[in-house]
Amino acid sequence: MKKKLVSVLLATGMVFSLVACNSGTPATSEVASNGAPVGSETAVVEAGEYDLTSISMVVDGTLTATVDNGQDAFKSQWEEAIKEKFGKDITLNISQLDHSGYTDAVGRLFAGGDYPDVMIMPASMFAQYANTGLLWDMTAAYDNAEFQSRIEKPEINENLKRNGKLYGFSPAYGNGCVTYVKQAWLDAVGLKASDIKTYDDYYNMLLKFTNEDPDGNGKKDTYGTDAAGFLKTDEAPYINYLPEFWQDAYPAIYQNESGEWVDGFQEDATKKALERLQTAYKDGVIDPAALTDSTKTAREKFFSNDQAGSSGAFAYWAGTWYQTLTDNLVKNEVDSELVMLEPISEVGAYINREAPVWVIIDDGDGDNSREQAIFDTFIDTMLDGGRIQVLWTYGAEDVHWSTKAESFVLNKGKTDDSGKSLEKAYEYAEGEFHLKQSPNDENTLWKKNAMDPALVIAPLVGEYADFTSTSELAAQGNIFFVSHCKDAHPSPVSDTLTNEAGTINDAKNAVISKVVVEGGDIDAAIEEYKNTVGSIIDQALQELNSAE
Amino acid sequence: MAEKINKKKTDETVRKKQIEEIIRSGSASNEEEAAAVLKKQNRRRFWKKIWNDKGFYLMFIPVAVLVILLYYWPMLGIRFAFMDYKPVGAPKWVGLANFQKMFSTGAFWTSFGNTLFLSILKLLLTTFTSVIVSVFLNEMRLLWAKKTLQTLIYLPHFMSWAVVAAIFSLMLSPSSTGMINGILKDLNIIDPNGSGIYFLANKAWWRPIFFLINIWKETGWGTVIFLATLSGINPELYEAAQIDGATRMQSILHVTVPALAQTIIIVLILNLAKVMNMFESVFVLYNSAVYDVSDVISTYIYRQTFTIALPNYGYTTAVGLFKSLVGGGLVILCNWASKKIRGRGIL
Repeated sequence: MKKKLVSVLLATGMVFSLVACNSGTPATSEVASNGAPVGSETAVVEAGEYDLTSISMVVDGTLTATVDNGQDAFKSQWEEAIKEKFGKDITLNISQLDHSGYTDAVGRLFAGGDYPDVMIMPASMFAQYANTGLLWDMTAAYDNAEFQSRIEKPEINENLKRNGKLYGFSPAYGNGCVTYVKQAWLDAVGLKASDIKTYDDYYNMLLKFTNEDPDGNGKKDTYGTDAAGFLKTDEAPYINYLPEFWQDAYPAIYQNESGEWVDGFQEDATKKALERLQTAYKDGVIDPAALTDSTKTAREKFFSNDQAGSSGAFAYWAGTWYQTLTDNLVKNEVDSELVMLEPISEVGAYINREAPVWVIIDDGDGDNSREQAIFDTFIDTMLDGGRIQVLWTYGAEDVHWSTKAESFVLNKGKTDDSGKSLEKAYEYAEGEFHLKQSPNDENTLWKKNAMDPALVIAPLVGEYADFTSTSELAAQGNIFFVSHCKDAHPSPVSDTLTNEAGTINDAKNAVISKVVVEGGDIDAAIEEYKNTVGSIIDQALQELNSAE
Repeated sequence: MAEKINKKKTDETVRKKQIEEIIRSGSASNEEEAAAVLKKQNRRRFWKKIWNDKGFYLMFIPVAVLVILLYYWPMLGIRFAFMDYKPVGAPKWVGLANFQKMFSTGAFWTSFGNTLFLSILKLLLTTFTSVIVSVFLNEMRLLWAKKTLQTLIYLPHFMSWAVVAAIFSLMLSPSSTGMINGILKDLNIIDPNGSGIYFLANKAWWRPIFFLINIWKETGWGTVIFLATLSGINPELYEAAQIDGATRMQSILHVTVPALAQTIIIVLILNLAKVMNMFESVFVLYNSAVYDVSDVISTYIYRQTFTIALPNYGYTTAVGLFKSLVGGGLVILCNWASKKIRGRGIL
C-alpha cells in the first residue's frame, strides 16, 4: 500500500513539475517574439548587410515544375541566373507540399518549428497570419523594388495591404472558376451553350444531361454537374465550384456595401441557395457523391475515359485549366471540345479570388537585413522582366520551353471513337519561342510554371518580350474570365475567427449536409447553426466592426 | 489480501529471529540496539548486492536513459495544455482555460461519446465474430480447405486503412458507378431511378457500415489467438462427450466454448485498455455529413489542429491529455479486472 501511495505521489509530482516548467517558450529551439526561429543555419548576419547563401521555400501545387516534372532544372537555372545577377552562389531549397492538404501540411511544419524563409499562402491563410507578426512587413521593400516601373496592375498588391502595411506579395491576380460544358453532350441533348442565359436554362441543361443519356451508352448513369463538396469552407471564395447554385449568396463573413461586416451564412440569399442545392440533389442533377469527392476525384470523373458517372458541366479554374481539361478529354478519347458558359444572369459575373501571396518569414530579431536580402533575391527578381521571370512563368529552358528548332507530335497514333486522328504536330524554327512536351507526359504540351503569363502583373521585356504562351485555349480562357469576373470579398482578419475557424467550418458543414444530403428543413438547420456558433460569429463581427 | 497479511507476518517473524540472534551474539545488549545493528547490516547487504550485480546495473543504464528520453522527456509537452500555443508567437500561460473551452464544447462531448461507443462495440463485435469463425475453422476436417480459408480471412488485416476506405467508398458510392447501389437497384430493393443510398454520408448507415468493414478487416486476424487456444483443448474431452452421446453442436457448446471463455475475457480486457486510441479507421471513412455519429476524439483533435490555418496547439493538447487520462483510467480498470478474473494483472 505504501509503495502504491509513493508511486501515485511521485507520478502526481512529476505531472505538476512538468506543468510548472512554464518557461513560456517552446522547449526545443530558440525563438523570437513572433515564434519564428532566430537566424538561419546557412547564413551569417553582418552589420547592416546580410550574406545570404540559401533560401528555403515552401510552396503548394502552384509551382507546376514538380519533382517529376523538371524541378531540378528549374532550380539549377534559377541558381545560375541569381549568380549571374548578384555574382554569388545562393541555393534554393524547395519544399513542395501537397496542394489539397497545404494548410494541414504548413500547420505540421510550423508545429515542428520548421519555418522557411519564403512561402506561398492562399488568401484565407494569409488573412489569418497577416497580423501575427510572423510575416515580414515588406511595404518599403515593395515600394523600392526594381520591378515597380514595370507593374501594370498595382491595385493587386495595394489591395493586399492591411493598415497600410504589405505582408504578402502577389505577382499575379487571383483567377477564378468558370463553368465548362462538354460540347458533345450539348449536341447530344440538342442544346447550344449560347442559349443558356438564366438559372432555368442552366437547370434544364443539367436535367437533360442527367436524364437523356448524353454519353450514349444506353444507361441513365450521368449527372448534370459535379463538385468537390457543395461548399468549400476552407478555401475562399468558398462558392466558386457551384456558382450557378450560390448566385448572389456569400456564405461567409464579408463586408457589405455599407461597409459593415456581416455573416452571409445567415442571410436569405444563402437560404435560397441551399434550397436550390437541395432540389438539385433530390432531382439527381448533382453527382450524389459530391459531398465526399475530393477536387481530384471530381476533376478526374469529368474527363474519365469511362463517362458513366461523369457530368456534363463542371466549374473549374479559368485559363490554363481550360487547356488541361480539354487535353485530358482528348487524351481519354471522350470529347474534343469544351465550351465556357457565360455567367447566367443570376450569377452576373464569376468570382476573381484573392490572389495567393508570397510571404517572407520575419525572424523577429529587429534587423531587417536578412529579410531585405531575401526580398531582393527572391521576390524582386520574380518580376525582373527577363530570365528569372521567364523561369517562374514558363519553367526551365530546353526542359519546359525552348527557342531551338524542333518538331514533335502529341497523341501519336491515337484516334477518337469516330476514328478521327487525335495527333497534333508541332514544328518550330530556330529562334522561335515555344513550349515543349511536359517532362512527365509526352502527350501533353507544357503550359506554364508558377505564374500564369496572362495573369502576371508585370510583362516580360527586352529580348523576352515576345515570349508568349502558344496555348490558344489557355489564352482564350484568360480573356474570357477577365471579361466576365468580379473581385471576391476580402477575407476578414479577426482573432476570434482565427481561434474558432474549425468550429465554424464544422457547423457550416453540418448545415450543408442536413439540408442538401438529408433534405432537412433549411430554417431549422440555420437556427441550429446560430445556436452552435452564433455567439462566436457575433463576437467576430463585433471585433471586425469595431476595428473599422 | 490474505496472502499479503501472511507475508507481513512471516517478515516480522524473520526480523524478530534476526534481532534475537544479534543479541545472542553480543553485538547488542537490547532490542533497540539490535534493531539499529540490523538496519546497518541490511543496508550493507543491500549495497553489497548491488556491487555484486554491478554488471547488470551497468547494462541497465542505457535502457534507463532511453526510457527517460523517449518516454518521459516528450511528456514535457503536457504543459502546453495549460497554454495558448499557436504556430506564431511565444506560448502564453492560460491556466485551465483550454479545459473550460473543451468541457463547454458540444463537439468535444459528441466525439468523446462516439469514441467510447464505436470502440467498445467494435471490440465486442470483432471478438464475437472471431470466436464464431475460430470455432467453425476448428471444426473443419479438410486441412487444405482450413488453411486456405484461414489465409483468405487473414489477408484484409494486412491492407492499409487508406486502401480499404478507397475500395469501400467505390463500392458504396451513391453515384451510378457504385456497385452496392447498382445491385440494390437491379433487385428493385431501392428505387431504380433514385439516387441510391449514400451509405458513408448517411447517419443511419454510417455506423453499421463502419462495423461491417471492421469485422471484414479484423475478424481473420482475431481468430489467431482463439485457434491457438482451441488447439490446446484435450481431445479426451471430445471423446468423452462423444461416448456420452453428444452431437457435434453439443460438443461445440459444452466443450469448445467453455474452453474459450477465459481467452475471450483476456482478449476483451487487454483491448479495452486501447479503446481511446481510435483514429485511422474513422478518419478514412468519415465526412462532415456524419460527424454526429462518427467523429472521435482523435479526429476532432486532428481537425482542430490541422485543418485551420492558425490552430491553438494548447487546446488540442488539452483534449489529448484528457484522452490520455481516460485511457490511463481504463488501463487501471482493466488491470483490476484482470487480477480479479485471472489472478494476475496486465501491468
